[in-house]
Amino acid sequence: MTEPLWIKSLLIGLAVLFLAVFLILPLVVVFTEAFKKGIEVYFASITEPDAAAAIRLTLLTAAIAIPLNFVFGLAAAWAVSKFDFAGKSFLVTLIDLPFSVSPVISGLIYVLLFGLQGWLGPWLAAHDFKIIFAVPGIVLATIFVTFPFVARELIPLMQTQGSEEEVAARVLGASGWQTLWRVTLPNVKWALLYGVILCNARAMGEFGAVSVVSGHIRGFTNTIPLHVEILYNEYNSAGAFAMASLLTILTLVTLVLKSLIDWRSRIHSSSTAVVDEGIIA
Amino acid sequence: MSIEVRNITKTFGNFVALKDVSFKVETGELVALLGPSGSGKTTLLRIIAGIDVPDERGGAILIHDEDTSGTSFRERRVGFVFQHYALFRHMTIFENVAFGLRVRPRKLRPSEDVINQKVSALLELVQLDWLGDRYPSQLSGGQRQRVALARALAVEPSVLLLDEPFGSLDAQVRKELRRWLRRFHDELKITSVFVTHDQEEALEVADRVVLMNQSRIVQVGTPEEVYHHPANAFVYNFLGNVNLFHSRVEEGKVYLGDIPIDLPSEAAEDAKTALVFVRPHLLEIELQPNGSDHFRAKVEHINAAGPVVRVELITDWGDPVHVELSHERYRALGLQRDAEVFVIPKERKVFTDHSKPFGSERELP
Repeated sequence: MTEPLWIKSLLIGLAVLFLAVFLILPLVVVFTEAFKKGIEVYFASITEPDAAAAIRLTLLTAAIAIPLNFVFGLAAAWAVSKFDFAGKSFLVTLIDLPFSVSPVISGLIYVLLFGLQGWLGPWLAAHDFKIIFAVPGIVLATIFVTFPFVARELIPLMQTQGSEEEVAARVLGASGWQTLWRVTLPNVKWALLYGVILCNARAMGEFGAVSVVSGHIRGFTNTIPLHVEILYNEYNSAGAFAMASLLTILTLVTLVLKSLIDWRSRIHSSSTAVVDEGIIA
Repeated sequence: MSIEVRNITKTFGNFVALKDVSFKVETGELVALLGPSGSGKTTLLRIIAGIDVPDERGGAILIHDEDTSGTSFRERRVGFVFQHYALFRHMTIFENVAFGLRVRPRKLRPSEDVINQKVSALLELVQLDWLGDRYPSQLSGGQRQRVALARALAVEPSVLLLDEPFGSLDAQVRKELRRWLRRFHDELKITSVFVTHDQEEALEVADRVVLMNQSRIVQVGTPEEVYHHPANAFVYNFLGNVNLFHSRVEEGKVYLGDIPIDLPSEAAEDAKTALVFVRPHLLEIELQPNGSDHFRAKVEHINAAGPVVRVELITDWGDPVHVELSHERYRALGLQRDAEVFVIPKERKVFTDHSKPFGSERELP
């Protein structure tokens, strides 16, 4: 309010420039590169068998990882925020662990555990289970990396909401399940959805951890990000950018959904509270 | 339905929240659990409701003469009104009130029509029928309080428990709502217990008051009984403003300034010190001694704004004294700051050991 005009314009200008160079320009580049050789090449490169397999695998991985995360995140947040028990802060640290570990290390852990030279490798090989360099490994690594997303969204919200409403529901005669479905879940639905969207974005975009366990077998163990890398290394930039554009679209959709949820939950809680402010921000 | 609390003890780790507490609420009574914060009253209420579980020490909660331990909330059928209401924030007022009916097992669940009728009737009862489609966040504190009450009543509870029902309301709404609660109780006649730390509230609303201090029950009685016959110094002190004098005991007498006061008959023989209490409105101020027992004091401060005039004095020996006078009396005396006056205690109470329950009342001749 009190700053002179030139300072205001300078700061705003800098911010806009920064946004343009680091966000908008790359976005434009992705799509121009993807469509450089025409729309036919674009569609051909995302429908050729290996690309289609990569897309299918990515969707499959997300389809497995997200529901598991949903259930786990909700259960963990519920336990952490509504109960007091020994080792609670240790559990919270464990939940956060994947955030602080490099994804490559996360992948490597699974190789050390389930790989042929790993702890469980010989046993798995003997029973003909294939985890590393196969789909199960990719799913496991993705689950590990996306582990904290839902729980992290829910814990602060559920902590501020406390458990009084749940107690009220129980006193009114509701069973445990009724309390979960009618009170707990509706109260956290927006944060839960938000967590799922973030989790989905990460699950589809994960590179490091998946790269270690995948083995890069074209048509079998390549996810979209891995396929992008392969194409790029083969100087097939149109193909690489076409695949990359898919992930970019996912990002944009995520962004729009996030804003919508943000807006929706703000309306929902406009007069209620301060309580909901923190979570979405 | 009566409520009986029998030898209830509750500890949280090393902290003892309730020590061997017992009392009974008769059918149709409205009882206040009164005490300072930390005295264990809310814990006791939550144990009666079954939200908290007492220690295994052979204690029990009986509702309608039946032991409630091991029963589910459904069987127990208590109505509980939370201090911060705990309304379901994502449901309309109507759905909040209907909740207890909707979660019943299918066989016992009333039809949609019956639920509609019942909820409407309850909302009418608490005078909020026009707010059914609003959300809790759109209501004022007093309105939320009444919704919470309607929600608790929807399940036709055998007893109604209210935790600091007026605790988070402003003074004006508080007063209105507690009169309303009293009338409400007189209409419904449902056995009710409410927790409060406000003595005025307890004395005004309740049929009987259960006074609690330091995890124990100190006294149980009607508002008149506890106010006029307090069991100990704590009760006297807690139920209204008092002046407190720490006095020495000499040859079986307690001295308030120069005024000798007999020790209460129950007092310990070897008591060395005693507490003398006098309520501010039971002290008279005179400009000249009139033959009654008195002590001398100096006027420090006068506050004449309000229904009574509050005068702060300081005694010869340096204790502060608060006196309440009528405006007529104040004008007749023509009190000024720094005036030397004579203070006549009309009634006082002596306690020799404020941790043990005994007491007495002594009128001056």
